Amino acid sequence: MYAIGKREFFSLAKGSKSLMTISILFLISYFTVKPSGVFVSELTVEEAEMIHNAGLLIFILLFGQLIVAGLSHDSLNREMHERTIRFLVTRTSRAGILFGKFFGVWVFWFMCLAGAFLLTGIVVRKLDLFLFSQTMSLVTFQITVTLLFSVLITKPGYTMFLGIVTGLAFPVCGLFVTYTSNVWVNWLKFVSPYYYLERNDAAFLIIILLAGIMLSLANLIFKRREC
Amino acid sequence: MRAIETKQLKKMYGSVPVVNGLDLVVEKGEIFGLLGRDGAGKSTFINMLTGIVQQSSGTYSLLGVACPNAQVKKRIGVMPEYSALYSSMTAVEHLQYLSSLSGKPAGKQRCIDVLHSVALAAHAHKKSREFSFGMIKKLGIAQAIIHDPELIFLDEPTSGLDAESVLVIHQLIIEMQKRGKTIIMTSHNLDEVERLCTRIAIMKAGQIVRMGTMDELRAFYRQTVKVRIKHAPVPAAQREILYRWLKTAGTKLEIAECYTTIHLEEEKKIADILRAFHHCKTDVYRAEVAGPTLEEIFLDESE
Ligand SMILES: Nc1ncnc2c1ncn2[C@@H]1O[C@H](COP(=O)(O)OP(=O)(O)OP(=O)(O)O)[C@@H](O)[C@H]1O
Ligand SMILES: [Mg+2]
Repeated sequence: MYAIGKREFFSLAKGSKSLMTISILFLISYFTVKPSGVFVSELTVEEAEMIHNAGLLIFILLFGQLIVAGLSHDSLNREMHERTIRFLVTRTSRAGILFGKFFGVWVFWFMCLAGAFLLTGIVVRKLDLFLFSQTMSLVTFQITVTLLFSVLITKPGYTMFLGIVTGLAFPVCGLFVTYTSNVWVNWLKFVSPYYYLERNDAAFLIIILLAGIMLSLANLIFKRREC
Repeated sequence: MRAIETKQLKKMYGSVPVVNGLDLVVEKGEIFGLLGRDGAGKSTFINMLTGIVQQSSGTYSLLGVACPNAQVKKRIGVMPEYSALYSSMTAVEHLQYLSSLSGKPAGKQRCIDVLHSVALAAHAHKKSREFSFGMIKKLGIAQAIIHDPELIFLDEPTSGLDAESVLVIHQLIIEMQKRGKTIIMTSHNLDEVERLCTRIAIMKAGQIVRMGTMDELRAFYRQTVKVRIKHAPVPAAQREILYRWLKTAGTKLEIAECYTTIHLEEEKKIADILRAFHHCKTDVYRAEVAGPTLEEIFLDESE
């Protein structure tokens, strides 16, 4: 599991990908989301004070799913498609493979986001660990959704497409169900991470719970998969 | 201890039983051969034992441990039928990565040694996307043995390799057995199986139709081999000796100026015949086995 995670991490971190991700995250958080920005109305007063770091959260809210899927949509199904997965399933348990992959991707994002938070923190001279935890919980959720798709759909080309579609649809739908007063759909907000982020308490832990459910679901499906 | 034991192991694809309730015991230290035509179910059987596909019903144990079991996986090595590689990794990188997955990280020297044993050391640092079919196959074998497993599954280890490489792999398999390993392999090649295996099972339509040592199987299918030989005219002085000898070696002898046809009890005797021609100073231009070979009889056996 550890070896798989390590390989997954380094294949993500290798070359320009991680550098590009960190710079985008940094640039976005520092320059593009200004106090006068359009999203500020969604934030509480406290958050407005930490606007630079909140910029990161908002960016992940809007584009996280897209980027996570873009980088990792084929993490599992490419190996199934190309049958290299056979080297793995004959050596270790399927749960070990899945959690290893998850672990590798998660550490990659942890490093990128921690890096971006630190950089902006240094610039604005303030670190908000709560916001960082919220952002991490959201990314954790997005990673598990991406992995779930990757075991659900065996063709890498389809998950790329699906990653783009859901990457665009998730924030739109998520924000819609969170703020709509339509009783038919607004119960959906309880399964959308946005609802828990909007609150300024430990509710973000529920997102981690949701992520856990996604990962268990992926594990169940992967166990039955033919390699 | 038993290396492999299966009980009523079955795999259905749709309503078709591809492996149909197999009971098999392979003892430790054996080289066990699975022989059968395309689609007989050999690979599916191996894939079930190695966790690549899930059985529909039945049970199995490996090295005395009921499976599936993650711990036992560290003690087996598998060369799947279709070896695919990570295109951006070199041979050595493959072995380092995969051995660490098996819980026994291999150092560079160990990797080179194993690559050497499959005649791939010359390409140790080449990216696998530049590999030929044979090289992919060899790395497939190397990764199956890199962590020094006790039980090794090889699905068609030599198909598609050149003659020289085939011998290298045969040597490797024999050496592993000498070191106490158990090997189960599939093949389409009776000669190969005969040379290597302690026991053989012949599979057909998902079932084992015959199993035993080569001698047992041979005795079961007692059948003569018809051999047709094209040769130079036999020198008059040698004719009498040669014909007398041929008569004792086989039956249904037919003799013409440049052709001789004879029925032999077993394929092994072909060599004796050729030696006799040589002894009688007659050049042999061609020797062909007419009619079904032992291999064809084995594989085509219908229930
Ligand atoms: N995923 C699958 N779905 C449906 N049928 C399958 C699948 N995999 C294998 N089969 C069928 O199972 C049968 C046995 O296939 P298997 O690969 O085990 O044969 P084999 O003995 O290994 O043949 P070969 O010598 O060609 O490798 C074949 O008829 C094949 O079509
Ligand atoms: Mg096969």
